[in-house]
Amino acid sequence: MKSRIGVAVCALVSILSAQDGSTHADWPHYGGQRSAWRYSALDQINRSNVSRLQAVWAFQTGKVDGGFNATPLVVDGVMYVSSSWNRVFAIDAATGREIWHYFYQNPREIGIIYSPWTRGVAVGLGRVFFGTLDNNVVALDRATGRELWRVNVEDIRQCGCNITGAPLLVKDKVVVGVTGGDSAHRGYLTAYDVNTGRRAWRFWTIPGPGEKGHETWEGESWKSGGGATWLTGSYDPELDLLYWGVGNPAADFYGEARKGADLYTDSIIALDPDTGKLKWYYQEVPHDVWDFDAAFECVLFDAPVNGVPRKLLLNVNKGGYTFVIDRTNGEFVSAWPVAENINWITGVDSKGNLLGRNEPPVGKPALMCPSIGGGRQWNHGSYSPRTGWFYTTGIEWCQELTVTPEEPKEGVNFMAGVFHLKPPIHGPAGGHLDAYDPVTGKKFWTYPSKYPLLASQLSTAGDLVFSGDPEGNFFALDAHTGQKLWSFPTGSGHRGSSITYSVRGRQYVATPSGWGSALAGLMPQVWPETEDFPPGSTMFVFALPPESR
Amino acid sequence: MIVLALLLAQAAPVARGERIFAQSCSVGYCHGVAGAAGRGPRLRGRSFAKDYLYGVIRDGIPSSAMPAWKDRLKDDDIRAVVEYVASLATASDAPATANPMPPGVGPASQPVFSGTPQAARGRALFSDPVRENCAVCHAVAGRGIAIGPDLTAAPASELLSRIHSKESRHVLTASLQSGERFAALLVSQTGDEVRLYDLTSTPPVLRTFARSQVVSLVQNPAWRHDDVSKNYSGAQLEDIVAYLRWAATGP
Repeated sequence: MKSRIGVAVCALVSILSAQDGSTHADWPHYGGQRSAWRYSALDQINRSNVSRLQAVWAFQTGKVDGGFNATPLVVDGVMYVSSSWNRVFAIDAATGREIWHYFYQNPREIGIIYSPWTRGVAVGLGRVFFGTLDNNVVALDRATGRELWRVNVEDIRQCGCNITGAPLLVKDKVVVGVTGGDSAHRGYLTAYDVNTGRRAWRFWTIPGPGEKGHETWEGESWKSGGGATWLTGSYDPELDLLYWGVGNPAADFYGEARKGADLYTDSIIALDPDTGKLKWYYQEVPHDVWDFDAAFECVLFDAPVNGVPRKLLLNVNKGGYTFVIDRTNGEFVSAWPVAENINWITGVDSKGNLLGRNEPPVGKPALMCPSIGGGRQWNHGSYSPRTGWFYTTGIEWCQELTVTPEEPKEGVNFMAGVFHLKPPIHGPAGGHLDAYDPVTGKKFWTYPSKYPLLASQLSTAGDLVFSGDPEGNFFALDAHTGQKLWSFPTGSGHRGSSITYSVRGRQYVATPSGWGSALAGLMPQVWPETEDFPPGSTMFVFALPPESR
Repeated sequence: MIVLALLLAQAAPVARGERIFAQSCSVGYCHGVAGAAGRGPRLRGRSFAKDYLYGVIRDGIPSSAMPAWKDRLKDDDIRAVVEYVASLATASDAPATANPMPPGVGPASQPVFSGTPQAARGRALFSDPVRENCAVCHAVAGRGIAIGPDLTAAPASELLSRIHSKESRHVLTASLQSGERFAALLVSQTGDEVRLYDLTSTPPVLRTFARSQVVSLVQNPAWRHDDVSKNYSGAQLEDIVAYLRWAATGP
């Protein structure tokens, strides 16, 4: 009897401590909550009424270069969002009225090696944080948009790096990543004190001399080895661990000068958020020669594995495989593909080892699948605790890649290869949005698309999955079947991340609309007509008409 | 025969331009194989005036990903690339062949650093990613972040002692209404706004305050620059001095 009570108590504790990553009225962090579910518990808009969804306001950012790639945040009825060329806005989330804007002018003409887009801001402790194209971290007063502090992290002309990802707020620190994975740069992740802007810690994603892991780099290659932290990580408050995905090693395609595993590129790192000290890591792709980042979102969720409840972390690798690991210790759990056309490996074994590595030859063209655009792009998937499924996209495309050795040079690209996108040999090029069991990868439904889908997914307690396509349609699918229930033409393609929130009891769905980015630039190599797809940069917001609620 | 020679002479720059283009313009996310488009625009099947091409390639497009090539390519090479890109005006949509970049050849080079090997070592050490480096606060010859004084202004004979000197003439102590005090450089005081570099951490933080938040700004003769010998050996500092001398005498 005694032991039975013990079991019951344990079960209760594990339910209570299960990660809840749902958002409610607000959308406070980049990934919704810091578990990156991109799931909302709001259900006013649901399968039975979504067909009556109407546009209620639109907001123009005024700069269309590079597309509108951001995730808006909403806190206490105010939307905070950034757009190309360092523009930040605070907007009344119910009406679309601008409250303030902050335009940061680059103080000098700079080459924008990673182009003028930005993916969002962090909000909290009375401040709005974002990164600039010329590598400044900026803190603004949340109420007024006035600048409070700013730090110029590194000279962009030297590092060939800048900040395009959204920062993440953890306790009294704001954690900021960096681009530069395709430059001769040594990557890092840095935390700043939210009040003063003083650097709290820095974690170098490539260990220096004398540090563990330094031996996985050859010669001086560690100094220019990439390892960018160009997207946004996750945080588990119960374990007090900060997770961040690290990008590819540089030069991207030529690995002879950096023989070894090249830690911690293509890895998930778990850090102590107070000190920046490494707790553990899991490397998905040792010695990457394909540019297959592990930089995408880290989805933190709890699920049984072989009947045992586990605390898990899911990360879709750019190479098209999803890796699931134990987020308490980094132990490998499973890996499963999101794309059909994958030839750089033949699979992943039960321990996480890559099988049948197909490394591109040096100096002569080879067909590699997926293309540099990835078996999936960076735009984020969504985990719904109602279905227990993970919704994400996959892309079918390949590239003819010619590896061309090159020397690292200050401030310019360091990729060592030339590529031209091609359709797969078997079957057409295209995209799809799918529903998966996040642990096993079992696919429940698929929504096919002529073009790669390059916008994030949003799932809700209304059993809906929202996303957008390159032709400018924003749409809602039935989370259980994948059936399309509603669609709205916004006039420019979707490259950002939609969200949902509520103000005074009314639920809204917001999506950035604005075609652009590196991938949009490459797509004409396979789909010539996409060259003429119109750019844009508009926030569209939808709600049910009052009488439908 | 003469006609053939003329034709060859005309074709030669196109072929040379094609090779340079493959090395420098097709790479990465830029213009794609044979100008098929990447993050940079498509060049195949489009007509551009040669003057326009020459200007854009030579000087770049400000605030874009298109760099100025005048410091990386010889004028002859730029003109060859112009001829090649102009020749793509009648090209079909898709490139017929793989990128003609010969194996083992990297992209076009930036100019070789013109200083001595010692100065070259110093140049690398100035912004060395392994340590807290000079470039976080000082700019030299257009590299680094200009927060502290320009080091190239110092007389050559004093360079090493200046670098070792921990004293500073411009540092203030800022006292805030909140009770916070920190070593600061004054950037501006305009209207109600005071902007200061907070030197407490590296990189320094540019902080903006309402005038009422700042109780006082006073000279801080006691402030000392971090001991550079913590981060660099004596020999490495000699290398950095060699680099500063090179920068001061006009690269």
